[in-house]
Amino acid sequence: MSGFADNLLHLLWTFAQLSVLGFGGGKGIIPQMHYDAVTRYQWVTSQQFTQFYTIGKLVPGPTTIFAALVGYAAIPGRPLLGATVATIAMFVPSSAIMVAFDALWVRFQASPWRVIIAQGLAPAIVGLVWSSVWTIARGVAVSWVAYAVAAVVTVLMLRTKLSTPVLILLSGVVGVAALR
Amino acid sequence: MSRDDARPSLSSIALTFAAISSTAFGGGQKASVRQQVLKRGWMDRDCFMDGLEISQILPGPNILNLALYCGQRVRGVPGAVAAFLGASIPPFIIVLIAGALYFKYSANPFVQGALRGCAAGALGLTVGNALELAWDERADWARIVLLALTAVTVSLLHMPLLLVLVIFGGIGIVHQYVTTRRPKQ
Repeated sequence: MSGFADNLLHLLWTFAQLSVLGFGGGKGIIPQMHYDAVTRYQWVTSQQFTQFYTIGKLVPGPTTIFAALVGYAAIPGRPLLGATVATIAMFVPSSAIMVAFDALWVRFQASPWRVIIAQGLAPAIVGLVWSSVWTIARGVAVSWVAYAVAAVVTVLMLRTKLSTPVLILLSGVVGVAALR
Repeated sequence: MSRDDARPSLSSIALTFAAISSTAFGGGQKASVRQQVLKRGWMDRDCFMDGLEISQILPGPNILNLALYCGQRVRGVPGAVAAFLGASIPPFIIVLIAGALYFKYSANPFVQGALRGCAAGALGLTVGNALELAWDERADWARIVLLALTAVTVSLLHMPLLLVLVIFGGIGIVHQYVTTRRPKQ
């Protein structure tokens, strides 16, 4: 029972921290989330982590909703509880900051710090996104077909108007044919 | 008509964001929110653009922050709560259904193949996103160096996220402050 309660608290605390640190729309939290969920607490495998991230990109809404799937896997006896706790921890703290900040916004808007902070944080966030590439790649099948699919999707994303879910589903079709 | 009569009900706020969050993907969501709030007369264009900016600066998913902002503009904190529920509950239910299917069928070899393919596709999208974001930084070599240092440090040393934001984010902010203050020749 204490293992169960501990696990739930770890889940809550882990995602609450990621929520508060989720600058840049949460794009930068993937490496830390992988470390916590895969290496530290071993809630999911690297392959599952990448597949959950993929599902997060495939469904409508924010990608970080895949926190629910990590929570689902983290509490084997009560997956719905795990999913709910992880989602609340992922979304409520950042939302509380957003709502609380409203009163300060009018003053902040006229300040040069608005641009300085947003622009200044950007290189670190983009660096974290590059690190996410490595994080996600660790859960992708070690196969030339998989790498070729990834390369083609990168080009299609940059050069065409094809949407995210379409590109992922097309990749899935290739996977059924060649990655079984 | 008094101003209060013109304010949207909490349920209409929740339903508006529920409709968007259950159907729109990625960047299309922001466009949908923009279209809905302007069409309904909840705010003007400038007010929306302010919200878009702040929702990108503060932590949290942009689309959720934008929903909170819009809800709060029209109905205060209760409006923000309604927008939060509308923007988060449908994706939560959809991802739970996906998760239940995942755990039921992921051992099937065809499903395994599909998942491996989808994961490779998601990797490709992440690479594309990383390239686009890095391209935006190309004007200043110092920012490219900072970006690369962050990526290498996080990937190889597993530096905790808080420390990454304090150190590399801090350097970036100082650099931005200095370049902003120095008049361009």
